Amino acid sequence: MKSDTAVPVKDAPKTDPRLKLIAARIKKENYKPDALIEILHTAQGAYGYLPIEVLTYIAKALHLPPSRVFSTVTFYHFFSLKSKGEHTCIVCTGTACYVKGAQAILNKLEQQFALKPGQVTKDNKLGVQVARCIGACGLAPAVVIDNDVQGKVNVEEIIQSINEKTGIL
Amino acid sequence: MNKIPVLIDEKKLEVDPHRTILEVCREHDIEILTMCHLKGIADIGSCRLCLVEVEGINKLMSACTTKVTANMVISTATERIKKYQRITTELFFAERNHVCAVCVSNGSCELQELGYKTGVDNIRYPHLFPQCNVDTSHPWYVMDHNRCIMCTRCVRVCNEVEGAHNWDIKNRGHQVRIISDFDTPWGASTTCTSCGKCLHACPTGAIWPKAIVQGQLVKNPGMITELVEKRKMRL
Ligand code: SF4
Ligand code: SF4
Ligand code: FES
Ligand code: FES
Repeated sequence: MKSDTAVPVKDAPKTDPRLKLIAARIKKENYKPDALIEILHTAQGAYGYLPIEVLTYIAKALHLPPSRVFSTVTFYHFFSLKSKGEHTCIVCTGTACYVKGAQAILNKLEQQFALKPGQVTKDNKLGVQVARCIGACGLAPAVVIDNDVQGKVNVEEIIQSINEKTGIL
Repeated sequence: MNKIPVLIDEKKLEVDPHRTILEVCREHDIEILTMCHLKGIADIGSCRLCLVEVEGINKLMSACTTKVTANMVISTATERIKKYQRITTELFFAERNHVCAVCVSNGSCELQELGYKTGVDNIRYPHLFPQCNVDTSHPWYVMDHNRCIMCTRCVRVCNEVEGAHNWDIKNRGHQVRIISDFDTPWGASTTCTSCGKCLHACPTGAIWPKAIVQGQLVKNPGMITELVEKRKMRL
């Protein structure tokens, strides 16, 4: 379907690099509704799951009915609507972040909380996930704790930040 | 247009090509049971009630989505077909929680009517008894998923006729459900215009207006058909 009515979405987010990444992908796909799946892939890659606000943004940008977007998301097992755990720590493992030590962060998280990517603590308090590039390469290595994107992080800071937010240790 | 000959239940007919078996049968008063079909909206061939036998083809064909071709030999009421119609009907009942006695649609329900027509007096399959939501958030209408048979007539009428596309489907298999927007309460929909078309398109008591008493609901799916026709004629 050719979309000639598409207008850039006004409330395009200025701050969250992950939303910028999605916005860029949508633009690259020329606001075509048929590119929905590709765009959802990008979004899930950046967020680790698909928050409703992000789906709302995508639906608006592609001029698709919300229910259509939701239907697509729930049809494929690959997509997930929920982050695992009450709190999440998403470690970017895109190229830039990988080079700048994403693996060391993951190792430390595993050592500290006994969590591998995709796992949650028994009490469901904390989940660790990995994301492909979240669009903040300049700030590599990047980690997202809950909705807070943190750049140029070091391992100790991350642990401290998680403790502050979750009171886990 | 040149007519083509077909043979339906041993009756010789001359019919317009490019028509579905269902359309031809309805024109000639040959009964075909349907559920997902609603004249005026797109056919998707999903309920499998309208199956017919076509000579030379081993599998059964859905009358609503199969076009007639010249010299087609069609049977609509063989034992094989009756068997499947009954199975399909029983599965409708087994999949959700249908309690006709307390339903708003009691006496005016396409599913109930289908049960009578196919002679269903017991259900041979285990009931799934799924946990289903009743969404009463819309100011005027109720969506009771217990009574939904997933025919998707509401989805299509809302999308194709009203143009609102409030409804769609989530999940797969037994987990499928009709959803409004992001699976949010109907009353919070950002797309529904409250036109009421889905209510009339719905063959069961799944969608009903609040201003109605049990067993008093009369639905008018034909209104959708007429509406589509009127819109085509409008100059
Ligand atoms: S009331 Fe109209 S707009 Fe709302 S869901 Fe039903 S068909 Fe769609
Ligand atoms: S709500 Fe009614 S029209 Fe919609 S899918 Fe269920 S049974 Fe069909
Ligand atoms: S690689 Fe991590 S933000 Fe791009
Ligand atoms: S009416 Fe033909 S498949 Fe449902």
